Amino acid sequence: MTAPEQRNVRRWLTELATGNRRWVQGAVLTGTLAGMATIVQMILLARIVHLGVIEGVAVSELTGLFIALIITLVIRALFQGLQTRLAAQCSKRVRRTARRQIHRHWQAVGPVAMGQESAGALAREWIDHVEALHGYYARFLPQMQLSVIVPLLILALVFWLDWLAAVFLLLSAPLIPLFMALVGMGAEKLNQQHFETISRLSGQFLDKVRGLTTLQLFGQTESAANLLALRSDRYRVVTMKTLKIAFLSSAVLEFFASVAIAVIAIYIGFGLLGYISFGPADELTLFTGLLILLLAPEFFQPLRTLSQYYHDRAAALGAGTEILARLREYPAGSHDLKPQPATDTTAGPANLITLTNVCYTHPGDASPWFTDLNLKIEKGHAVALTGPSGGGKSTLLYLLAGFLVPDSGEIRVFGQPPGKAGFGWLGQKGFLVHGTWADNLRLTSPDASDIAIDAALRRVGLGDLVDSREDGIYSSVSDQGRGLSGGQARRLSLARIFLADYDLILLDEPTAGLDSASEIFVLESLRKFSEAGKTLVFSTHHHALLTLADRVLAVDTGEVADA
Amino acid sequence: MRELTPWLALIFQRPWRLVLGGVLILATLASGIGLLALSGWFITDTAIAGILLAAGTQVAVNLYVPGGGIRFFAVSRTVARYLERVYNHDTVLRLLTDIRVALFRRLAGASRTGQSRLSGAQWLSRLTSDVDALDTIYLRVIAPAALAGGITLLVALLAWVLFSGAVALGLLAITTLAFVLATVAVYVRTREPSYRQADRQEALRTAVVEHIEGFAELRAAGRTGRHGAWLLRQAHQMNSEQVDVDSKVGWHQAISHLLINLSAVFALWAGYGLFEIGAISGPVLVLLPIAILGLAEVYSMLPEAFGKLGSTVSSAARLNRDAVPAAEGGKTETAEPPDDLALAARDIAVRHEGFAPILTHFDLTLTRGERIGILGRSGSGKSSLADTLAGLLPPSRGDLARQPCAYLTQQTVLFDDTLRANLELGNPAATDAELWQVLELVDLGDRFAREPEQLDTWIGNTGSRLSGGEARRVALARVLLNPAPLVILDEPFTGLDADTRSRISKRLERWLERKTVVSLAHGSEALPTTDHVIHLE
Repeated sequence: MTAPEQRNVRRWLTELATGNRRWVQGAVLTGTLAGMATIVQMILLARIVHLGVIEGVAVSELTGLFIALIITLVIRALFQGLQTRLAAQCSKRVRRTARRQIHRHWQAVGPVAMGQESAGALAREWIDHVEALHGYYARFLPQMQLSVIVPLLILALVFWLDWLAAVFLLLSAPLIPLFMALVGMGAEKLNQQHFETISRLSGQFLDKVRGLTTLQLFGQTESAANLLALRSDRYRVVTMKTLKIAFLSSAVLEFFASVAIAVIAIYIGFGLLGYISFGPADELTLFTGLLILLLAPEFFQPLRTLSQYYHDRAAALGAGTEILARLREYPAGSHDLKPQPATDTTAGPANLITLTNVCYTHPGDASPWFTDLNLKIEKGHAVALTGPSGGGKSTLLYLLAGFLVPDSGEIRVFGQPPGKAGFGWLGQKGFLVHGTWADNLRLTSPDASDIAIDAALRRVGLGDLVDSREDGIYSSVSDQGRGLSGGQARRLSLARIFLADYDLILLDEPTAGLDSASEIFVLESLRKFSEAGKTLVFSTHHHALLTLADRVLAVDTGEVADA
Repeated sequence: MRELTPWLALIFQRPWRLVLGGVLILATLASGIGLLALSGWFITDTAIAGILLAAGTQVAVNLYVPGGGIRFFAVSRTVARYLERVYNHDTVLRLLTDIRVALFRRLAGASRTGQSRLSGAQWLSRLTSDVDALDTIYLRVIAPAALAGGITLLVALLAWVLFSGAVALGLLAITTLAFVLATVAVYVRTREPSYRQADRQEALRTAVVEHIEGFAELRAAGRTGRHGAWLLRQAHQMNSEQVDVDSKVGWHQAISHLLINLSAVFALWAGYGLFEIGAISGPVLVLLPIAILGLAEVYSMLPEAFGKLGSTVSSAARLNRDAVPAAEGGKTETAEPPDDLALAARDIAVRHEGFAPILTHFDLTLTRGERIGILGRSGSGKSSLADTLAGLLPPSRGDLARQPCAYLTQQTVLFDDTLRANLELGNPAATDAELWQVLELVDLGDRFAREPEQLDTWIGNTGSRLSGGEARRVALARVLLNPAPLVILDEPFTGLDADTRSRISKRLERWLERKTVVSLAHGSEALPTTDHVIHLE
């Protein structure tokens, strides 16, 4: 990751938290209060010991202090618990914000750009990458502030008690930022190493599992298992070499903390004996001495905790980089994010689809695809788009659908901007959700009745399939994802269009790659749509579809003409 | 919890390594506690001596033993921590290998119904996270819990020796409560949501993938906003449950920490009673509470680990389910056909479990050396038939007998490995000359002769990219290397242009001269030379 890139990601992570700053601040505040309670706890402990051991106060007279101590402990626990709760809440809200951002981005780039990515990869960003932000907000971010605040509080108190002891603390952690950088470097390297090893091992393992059937066919599973063991072991040896060095940095933190405590203990001991004739040592008492000793580990604890959370930061940065790359994929001003033309300055005729002087350039292309394209399609017509593949048939359909926005010119669908009113869309792949037939159809027509759903399914020839299932339209469409063929899935999409009763239906190669049974049903459906007065625009090479059309348009390298 | 048993057995295969790793952690924790406790003792001792000295009383103060002790603990804490981390990380990496290899062996021996799930990127990625969850169970859960228990006992022992049996018992009572709250109680209270978490996430993932795949249709119907909002609500609900778990873990951590602190207060208070009657000295009075305070660090790791235990158990449960050993002592071996036959299928039905049969009453008899083509459009059950003939999918009825076979599946599967390793799967005994010969046959001889590493060229996802047609030909070469007398080829020429196809087809005819060949394809142009052709309806 380059430095400016990392800075961008960090800025984005900070921006995400802005709306939820109260929660972060709350977590830091409760953490600070818990830290202060810890300091009070140590003061009371040292006080009790001093009074009992040095002043010889009877235990019965210390009851008040003991009770105060217990109350302090309870308060400390309360704030500790609250801190986790607030931080977790913050993380939850941030993740919702991040998911909203990504989804808004999807909406903005539209189906065409999304179709070029694997759905699995996009889903992984939306789910896993956003989840990877959790530790950063729930743990690292509050702890980063606490690891400055709490040690400073302790340092101030120790300085007031005995400045020389405070100097020892300071010396052992020369400068807190430096210390943190040291921890960070080690932890980051460690995390990276660990991650690489794990993913390599997983890769090897998954590769073999993926090909398990092949290995079984050749009777080679045992040798593959042995190879897996051998490779894994080699990775381990290599990784351990680097880890031995990476662990040194955390050992350094540990060493400084230990030595500081040891030095302070010995300094206080000698001071109490009166062996130290310079500095503030002769003013030490058991109370101040013991208090300084008790506070010394608490001085280092927030830093040590932070180093444990460093992998959360690395995970968030990694995930954030990928999310941000996605969000910035179509920077402002690019074609897919062009704002829709503001208002209907010229509401076109309600019985026509009109394209007026439309220019369109594919993102990344130098020359425009369509230049001053003018086209009128009458309502109720069935229009076929033909032409070589790559000639622009799909682009024209996308423009009519509003999935792509022209650079200039105007498109009106029955007087309205494209995509304003619902329309039927049939892509090259049908689409179904995990659920019942009814769920699938109600996805686009939530208010459809059972009878209408049943009828729509019958019209596309899926009636027999539904009848064969126990619960009819309320039985699940697919069991273990093996229920429908590609053709059946496309017919399911057609059933949605029947159900919704749209005026305009756009279809991209509706019969490509279909088996003959499905093809017949698709052709029949299109005929029915056409007879019902729907406007159809479809791209095709299929002869039967061409005969069905009222009008055939040849689309080739940006030219559209009646064929 | 029973789900974890097989994996724990695997982990405990290395008992001495685990014990030594544990001892190192113990040494680290004990050094930390020792450092503070001894320092407290030392300061109190010197404070008392200092007052006496100031009053003019002669006292002998031994500075060397405690001073040396403090220095020793400071160094031993650092060294033990470093060694512990290196050693235990090594252990974790070893366990990682053990678990993966063992799981692979179990999956390889699993029943076909279990394996039918072994497909799809989603299943594989879930498998990865499930395995990862098990990898860390030793270092996250087992070792800290065992050590927290051990070191608590040590401190109680210290209390018994220095203070009294009653104090030790009181201490044990409070710390036991802290231990239970930090471990078992967290597990019990978060078990269900934790257990559900992975399933919820998978359900959400399915829904998100569907949303993306149907984005154009949803957009056309003006429903992306609504459906997206529904997804956001699902995700938010999942996270809310997670926040709930986190909060519970946080409270348990806070309360167990509180109990540790209270036990230190108890030790101090009880110690005062003993101090007042002169049973213990001032320094000793200070030593024990400070040692107890040090326990907090040991306990602080526990609640989070036990909060995740529920999901670890569910990971183990899924892995156990995916790797159910085949029933009735392994796979049913396909019977050998009578002398002159290569394959005899009588009235077989092909069906996937839980689905309508794809083919019924299918008969096929092949004499040795016969070449047959089977044609059928995609979706006609051609590949399922091939799976059945090759023995991957047992026929749901009817009898099937055949000679050993080499089977080119419709899907091209190559491994992230060298070309040689990929080819040798077909015949581990093949010589380099044979490998080159078969590469020549599939028109890849020149292609790889040009590569600097030749047969050792790395192929697969991470290696040099092969085109779809090249990958197909490597897979074909692998099957051709196999000495089995029966060869089943499902769409052998996917991704090949007509010229290459006809060249390879001719050479295949000679190469497979004495073998029995079943070829399946969607059209006759995609078939190698055959004696006759069957059409599937």
